Amino acid sequence: MEKKITLSVKNLKKVIGKKEIIKGLSFDLREGEVFGFLGPNGAGKTTTIRMLVGLIKPTSGTIQICGANIEDNFQEAMTNLGCIVENPELYPYLSGYNNLLHFARMLDRVGDDRIKEVTKLVGLTERIHDKVKTYSLGMRQRLGIAQALLGRPKVLILDEPTNGLDPAGIREMRQFIRFLAEEEGLSVLVSSHLLSEIQLLCDRVAIISKGSIIRTDTVHQLLANRERVIWHVQPLEKGKEVLGSLTGIDVTDDGAILTEYNEEKIPLWNKQLVEAGIAVTEMNRKMPVLEDLFLELTGGDTIE
Amino acid sequence: MNKNVIRSITGIAVLFCLLWLIGLGWAVGEYYAGTPEKIPKAKTVSQVENKKGLTIVALGDSLTRGTGDETGKGYVGVLIDEIKGKTKRPVQLTNLGINGQRSNSLRKQVQETEVGRQIQRADMVLVTIGGNDLFRGGQALMDFKTGDIATIEKKYLNNLKFIFEQIRKNNPKANVFFIGLYNPFIDLDQGREMSKVVRHWNYDSAEVSASFPKIVFVPTFDLFELKVNDYLYSDKFHPNSKGYRLIAERVASLLTW
Amino acid sequence: MNKLIQNEMMKLIAKKRLIVIAIIIGVLVMLFTYAQYKQVQTQREKLGTSDWRTILQQQIVDTTNRLSSSRITDEWKKQLQISLQQQQYYLDHDINPSEPGAPTFMRIFLENSIDLFIPLMVMVIASDLVSSEHSLGSIKLLLTRPVKRWKVLLSKYLTLCLAISLIIAIAGILSYLISGLVFGYKGWGAPILTGFNVTETGLNTSEVKLMGQWKFLLMDFGLVWFVSIVVGTLSFMLSVLIRSTAAGMGVMLASLISGAILTNMVSSWESAKYFFMVNLRLTDYMKGTAPPIEGMNLSFSIQTLFVWWAVALFVSFFVFTRRDVY
Ligand SMILES: Nc1ncnc2c1ncn2[C@@H]1O[C@H](COP(=O)(O)OP(=O)(O)OP(=O)(O)O)[C@@H](O)[C@H]1O
Ligand SMILES: [Mg+2]
Repeated sequence: MEKKITLSVKNLKKVIGKKEIIKGLSFDLREGEVFGFLGPNGAGKTTTIRMLVGLIKPTSGTIQICGANIEDNFQEAMTNLGCIVENPELYPYLSGYNNLLHFARMLDRVGDDRIKEVTKLVGLTERIHDKVKTYSLGMRQRLGIAQALLGRPKVLILDEPTNGLDPAGIREMRQFIRFLAEEEGLSVLVSSHLLSEIQLLCDRVAIISKGSIIRTDTVHQLLANRERVIWHVQPLEKGKEVLGSLTGIDVTDDGAILTEYNEEKIPLWNKQLVEAGIAVTEMNRKMPVLEDLFLELTGGDTIE
Repeated sequence: MNKNVIRSITGIAVLFCLLWLIGLGWAVGEYYAGTPEKIPKAKTVSQVENKKGLTIVALGDSLTRGTGDETGKGYVGVLIDEIKGKTKRPVQLTNLGINGQRSNSLRKQVQETEVGRQIQRADMVLVTIGGNDLFRGGQALMDFKTGDIATIEKKYLNNLKFIFEQIRKNNPKANVFFIGLYNPFIDLDQGREMSKVVRHWNYDSAEVSASFPKIVFVPTFDLFELKVNDYLYSDKFHPNSKGYRLIAERVASLLTW
Repeated sequence: MNKLIQNEMMKLIAKKRLIVIAIIIGVLVMLFTYAQYKQVQTQREKLGTSDWRTILQQQIVDTTNRLSSSRITDEWKKQLQISLQQQQYYLDHDINPSEPGAPTFMRIFLENSIDLFIPLMVMVIASDLVSSEHSLGSIKLLLTRPVKRWKVLLSKYLTLCLAISLIIAIAGILSYLISGLVFGYKGWGAPILTGFNVTETGLNTSEVKLMGQWKFLLMDFGLVWFVSIVVGTLSFMLSVLIRSTAAGMGVMLASLISGAILTNMVSSWESAKYFFMVNLRLTDYMKGTAPPIEGMNLSFSIQTLFVWWAVALFVSFFVFTRRDVY
C-alpha cells in the first residue's frame, strides 16, 4: 500500500533577476521516508529548500505540506514542518533552553514537557541551561534538530545536516534521522552534495543539477545493474576484441576493461579469454556507488 | 533568566508607555484647546531679604559696562576691587549697564519692577548716562549746532531728574554717584567748542544731582583734559584701562564708611 | 502576540542593551549634574548672590548688551531677542524660570537630549532589532514558524515601543535621583510658563499659561516619547531594509547629527522644514524658543513627524512581509 504523501512539490520555478535558478521541480515525499536531494555546489538545493520553508516566494509552482498550500495557508503548512536551513543559527546569547522556549512560544500547544522531551531525544539535557555560544558545533546541530522537532512536525527538512560534523557525529546523525523516519514516521528531506552520505541515509534520491531534477528513484533502483567487473588482460587489444564480441565493454584510461557484472556469465567469459590465449592478470568486482551515476548524469560539471 | 522578570519588566514598560502617551495627549490637547489664563504681573516688589553684604547697583551706558577696558572690568569693576580690599563684608554687584543706552531708555529701565527692587536693596548706586545723548557716537561733531544740543539737553535733564526721583523713591538712603562726562574729542579740530558744550552739560547735570539728597556728581572732565589720548581706547571714544582706573579712583576717594 | 512580545523582550533583556543604556544615561546625568552645579556655583561667585531675580536681571542686561553688538548674525539676534523677552516676562511676573531642584534639572536634561542623545539611545536598540536576526541567521528559524510574518514584525515593533518607553523612564528616573543628590528633590509644583508664541514680529505672550512643573514635565516626557518613537521607527525601517546593523546605524546617526547641525543653519532654506531631523526639538515649542525655520510650530512638527512615522512603518511592513530571505 502506498504511504501518504506529506510534501508535494509541483513545477516549482524561481527566477532571480533574469536568471532562472530553479527550472520546474516536481517531487513528492511520503510518510516515513528519507528523501535525498543530491546535487553539486550551486545546483539549487538551498534555494529549493528556502522555497519549501517559505523563506522565499516561488516564481511559479505549488508546494503543499500535508495538504496545505504554503502560500494560501502558511500557518497550517508550517505547523507540520520542522526545518534547518544551512546551519542551525540559534541565539548565542540565550541558553539552549531559552532558545527552545522561544520557538515553542511560536507554536501552539507546545509546552515545557515537549521541550524536555526533545532535549532528551537529542541528548542535550545536561547542557541545556548553558548559553548557546558555549556549545560546540555538534551540540548546536543537535539543538537545531531539537528545535525543528518541537512542534511534532510530519515533515522535516534538513539542509546539509552533517555539515561540519566529525565522522562519529555524522554516523550518529544518520542513525538519528533513520530513527525519526522509521520509528516516528516522519518524512525527512535531506540535501547534500556528499554522495556517500545520501547513499547510506536515503530511501529515495533526486539528483538535481543546474536547477532541474535529472532523475528521481530509489537508491536501490539507481544502483541496480550497476555492478561492474574490471578486467586487466594481456595483450589488451586482443582481449578487447574477444570481450567486445561477448558483451558491451568500456575501456578505462589506465588500460582496464569494464564489463557488466553477471554472475552466470563471468566464468564463461573468463574461459573464452583463456582459450583465446589471453592472460587475465587481474579480475575485480567493483561495488556500485552513486558517484559514477552522479558524474555520469551531471556530466561531471560542478558549479556553472 | 526568570520568566517572571521578563513579565514584570514588560508590565512596567507598558505602564510607562501609557503614562508617556497621556503626556503626549496632554501636550497636544493643551496646544490645540488650552485657553490662556491671565497671569497677574508682580506689581508689588517682594520684600528685601536679609542681606549680609554690601550691595552695589550700577546703572547706565557703556561706561558702566566697561567697554574699551581690555581687562573687561570698567570703572565699576576696578571700584569693586578696591572696595573689596577695604571691607570684610561680602560685596555684591549688579551691573545693569547697557551699551549705547541713552537717558530715555534708562528712564524706562529704572521703572521696571525688578530694577526697582535691585535699587531698593542697594547700599550704593553708580550711574553713568548722557554720553550717548550728547555725542551720539561722535555724530555730534558733524552737526554741531547749538540749537539742536539745547533741545537734546533739555530732554536729557528732564530724564535725569526723573531717574533720580525714581531711585530716591525706591531707596532714600543709598549714596548715588553720578559720573559726569569728559570730552573725548578735546584734541580734535572742534574740541574747544565741544568742551564748552560738555562743561555746560556737566554743570546742569551737577545742578540736578545737587537737588537730590545724597546724589553726588563726580566730575571726570578734568581727568581727561590734558592727555586724553593716553586714556582713550582705540575707538577714541571710550576710556581704556587707565582711563577707567582714573574714574574709579575718583569715585573711591568719595566713598565714606 | 503576547507570547511573541515576551520572546522579543527576552532577547532584548538577554542582550543587556537596556543595562548598557542605563549606564550611559547614568554617567551622562552625573556629568551634567556636575556641570550644572559648577555653573550655579560660578554664577553665585560672580554675582555674589543666589537670588534668582538678581541673576535673571543680570542675564537680561547681559543679553541686551550682546544684542547691541554688531558682530552677531540677524538670526542669532532674533533668538536672543525672543529669549530676552521671555526672561523679562518671567521676571515681570515674578516666576523663577528654573526653580532649583531635581525636577527642573530633569526638564532641562530632557529639553537638551530630545534631538540627539535620547534618539541615539533608541537607535542602539532599534537599529539591530531586525538586522541582527539577519546577521545571526536566526531569521530563517523565526520565519519558518507557523506565525505570519507581519505578526513577527509587529511583535518586534511593539517591543521597540516598550523599550523606548523604558529608556525614557530610565532617563527620567536616573536624572531625578542623581541630580536630586545635589539640587534636592523638591520642585514638582514650581510654576512654569508655556504657550509663548514665536511670530515674525517676536514673542507673543497673549496665550501664555501657567502650570505646575509636574504637568509640564509630563508633557515634555510625552513629546520626548513621541520623538523617540518616530526616530525608533525610522531606525527600525532601516533595520528591515539594510541587513547590516552598522550601515543602518550609520545612516541614522548621520541624519540625526545633520539634523542637529541643520537646525542652526537652515533658516533660509524653507523646504528643509519637511526633514524629520529638524523637527525633533518639540519641547522647544513648549518652552517658547524660536523655531529653526520661520513658520514651524508644534502642530506642524508633530504632523511632519507623524507622516515620517507612518511612511516608515508602512515601508517596514510592506518590505518585511514580501521580501525573500536568503
Ligand atoms: N540571491 C541570489 N541572487 C542570485 N543568484 C542566487 C541567489 N541565491 C542563489 N543564487 C544562485 O542560485 C544557484 C543555486 O544556489 P544554491 O545556494 O541553491 O545552491 P546549492 O545547491 O545549495 O549549493 P551548495 O551545495 O553549494 O550549498 C547558484 O548558482 C547561486 O549562484
Ligand atoms: Mg546549499
